[in-house]
Amino acid sequence: MRLRIMSRYPGGNLIDIAIPTFIAAMPILLGQAIGGGAAQAAANFQQNTGTTNYVAYLLIGSNIFMIVSGTMWNVGYWMRREQETGTLEALYLAPTGRGSILLGISLYGMIRTLINFMIAFALGSLVFRVNPLQGNILLALAFLLVGMVPLFGIALLYGAVILRVKEANALIQLAQWVVSFLMGLFFPIAVFPIWLRVVAMLFPPTWMNNGVRASLLGVGYFFQHWYFDLAVLGVFCVITPWFGYWLFTRIEHGIQRDAGVGEF
Amino acid sequence: MTNEQIANDKSQRAPSPFVNFHLQFVIFVEMVRKQLIVMTRYPVDFVTSFVQIFFMILLFTFATIMFEPRGATEMSGSMTSRTGGVMMYGFVLFMFASDTLWTIGYNIREEQYQGTLESLYLTPASKFASLVSRVTMIVVWTGLLSVAAVVFVQLFLGRLPFQNVGLGALLLVFTLSGMFGIGFAFAAYTLLVKESAQTTANLLQFTIMIVCGMFFPFHALPDVLQSIARLVPLSYAVDAFRSTLMGYPPGFPELASIETEIVIVVAFGILMPIIGYWLYQRAERHARVTGSLAEF
Amino acid sequence: MEPIIQVRDLTKVYQSKERSGLLSSRVKNVDALKGITLDIFPGEVFGLLGPNGAGKTTLIKCLTTLLLPTRGAAWINGYQLERDENAIRASIGCMLMGDRGLYWKLTGRENLDFFGALYQIPPAPRKKQADKIIEMLNLGDIVDRTVETYSSGQKMKLAFGKALINDAPVLILDEPTNTLDLPSARELRTVVHDLNEQGRTVVYTTHQMSEAEELCDRGASIDRGEVIALGTIPELKASLNREGVTKVEGVIPATAFRAVRALDGVASAALSSKDGAQELVIVAPNPRAILPQLIHALMDNGAVLEQISPTEVTLEDVFIAKTGRTLAEDTRVK
Repeated sequence: MRLRIMSRYPGGNLIDIAIPTFIAAMPILLGQAIGGGAAQAAANFQQNTGTTNYVAYLLIGSNIFMIVSGTMWNVGYWMRREQETGTLEALYLAPTGRGSILLGISLYGMIRTLINFMIAFALGSLVFRVNPLQGNILLALAFLLVGMVPLFGIALLYGAVILRVKEANALIQLAQWVVSFLMGLFFPIAVFPIWLRVVAMLFPPTWMNNGVRASLLGVGYFFQHWYFDLAVLGVFCVITPWFGYWLFTRIEHGIQRDAGVGEF
Repeated sequence: MTNEQIANDKSQRAPSPFVNFHLQFVIFVEMVRKQLIVMTRYPVDFVTSFVQIFFMILLFTFATIMFEPRGATEMSGSMTSRTGGVMMYGFVLFMFASDTLWTIGYNIREEQYQGTLESLYLTPASKFASLVSRVTMIVVWTGLLSVAAVVFVQLFLGRLPFQNVGLGALLLVFTLSGMFGIGFAFAAYTLLVKESAQTTANLLQFTIMIVCGMFFPFHALPDVLQSIARLVPLSYAVDAFRSTLMGYPPGFPELASIETEIVIVVAFGILMPIIGYWLYQRAERHARVTGSLAEF
Repeated sequence: MEPIIQVRDLTKVYQSKERSGLLSSRVKNVDALKGITLDIFPGEVFGLLGPNGAGKTTLIKCLTTLLLPTRGAAWINGYQLERDENAIRASIGCMLMGDRGLYWKLTGRENLDFFGALYQIPPAPRKKQADKIIEMLNLGDIVDRTVETYSSGQKMKLAFGKALINDAPVLILDEPTNTLDLPSARELRTVVHDLNEQGRTVVYTTHQMSEAEELCDRGASIDRGEVIALGTIPELKASLNREGVTKVEGVIPATAFRAVRALDGVASAALSSKDGAQELVIVAPNPRAILPQLIHALMDNGAVLEQISPTEVTLEDVFIAKTGRTLAEDTRVK
């Protein structure tokens, strides 16, 4: 199965903007078929998730997925390319801190994906004729922005794995599906058995996704109030990048000792 | 030495140019074997391909459950068997389509990049065998994934409808043959446009996912897209394949009568490989004129 | 004797698009080969000589069926190009430039075996031939590792081994020693020499004339898609017999170089720099007679002379005499 959701080829940017709509279109159309029409689909969806606006719900999921996937891909893919072309070693020879190189790459990726998010969400709303500006927009934006900081940490963790395991493409593939599943791309994580719910809640994008959905569509926060959920994301902001960087440098040192960063 | 003597002398040292079918088949087997060996050298890829299938199925199953009335299904449990059939059998075809497009294009790029495409052209081995060996691996590989996916769904998510297996298998064979035709054409396209082929593969995958109703019945599509779907032979293949395996429940097949759809699928399965290979030969000739067999 | 390779008026024109505006582009014709005609006889080592971009690789790709020529014809081992392609492919063992053309994820042995199979060699003789190659090229230590772990030189060696797998009567080697270190290059030339002794015809492409002098029986100098000299190596050198070669080392300004070229009695001259010092090579029918004018022309134009010496004619001098350029120049058409 080669569903390369992220594309970093010529023309890739345009595709990035169209893809969230494509992704959301599948459950939307499937749902309408199951319900036997848009109205019944909305009613069924409300019973299961708490909102009738399934289109916005799914679009938010697919767009946040793109942000997460994009950030991870940017770091992982960049690293692999550099390894293959030999520029990673050149970068290591430069006196610039590793952290700032990665920060630069991640920041670039985040800004790019955030802009893509806005455009893609607007496009999806236009295609499926829903109002994108409802609920507490500022709060949703806060969840988005705060939620992006832990992503930097996840990207580092991911980068560390890529440094170690050479088959980055396969991992990117798998990670995309695991991420989409755990963060509740098409559904609330309440459908999970309890142990899986705990695993999902250790994953910051789950909070980001639910936060945006709750503030825009009123599907309910994990801890009843927005400030609790936002506070949890805040804690992730501190822990995840630190943990990611720690692991990254550990693995990096190991590799420098064993084989060198240029080996592949 | 005369030319004739040279030719005689050569016949002792170099293999006969007048290759027979048996020899070509042996080469084909060697090519498949080579692809298999290469595949085993990517163990992570091998494992992740299987694992991700389960995540994908779960993802769509949960999405489906969100749209079913509460009480119709249990949260952790099954979906209705018709929805399951539409989704799963479409999913199987989607895996084949996606892999054919992606793998052939990717494969050829990789060989262009490594220089092995030129190496292949230096030998008298049949280029057709080389193309077919690539798709053969896809059939084997994706076939395994499909079986795993169907078994997974059967075991954990509820029973899938499973009727008219003979006709279903026949339809699958012609559909796959047609997809290989598309694969050949895509290989030709890759030779011409190189790197951009991957962007196209990406876009094509999403497009056929929607237009060919891979994950949902066609009546869910807006009218405009339904009209487009009717122009694409692959849509009929999807419709006929899943309707047959589901035992033609009311409303299925959706695009035409099953007889008409069978005719379309058979024609697709016969004509598309011919067209695809013809396109590939043209692209290959173009590459040999412009010297782009080795370009990257 | 019938030639084993006959090339007649072989021409290759590439069309390249040149952007001349945002949307408009012009088609530009690039002549990579301009009517090449030559014969190569069974059992000889034939050198294709010339600088980078001269058209050697294009010629080889045409002969090995990778490229379709625009015009002209060729026969290899009695088979006609474009008509008997598979027979030609079976008659040739070819190593293209660089260390490419191998499957990185296969081991050296698996590569040899796979390509052997593509030449329709049954498993038993294929294995025997692979073992022979492994022994001949000293590949034993690396042959069971995947190619991705090889150094560039090791890949070159294996690529050379791959060219031998079908035990073809014609061996075509395109700059086979390009990235090899000196001992490995010498080793490879010895193997080529041995293979030739066993009766194989070898077409050997190089831009290092010393290599050609060591290995080749005959050769053709190619420049900008044309054969500018053709014959045995002694013949090629003898073509300058009436002329002599003088080498001047030192600091030689462009004005001095132009003044030397303008002198009566100078057939041709080429300037190159090596390790910071410049070297001027002058080909003249009677070098002694022009020596006083030569020194005057150089000194008057600000040259600082370190050494002036008459030298033995090399193949490189032949090339300079015919083209007015050194081999170090890259003549690729951009």
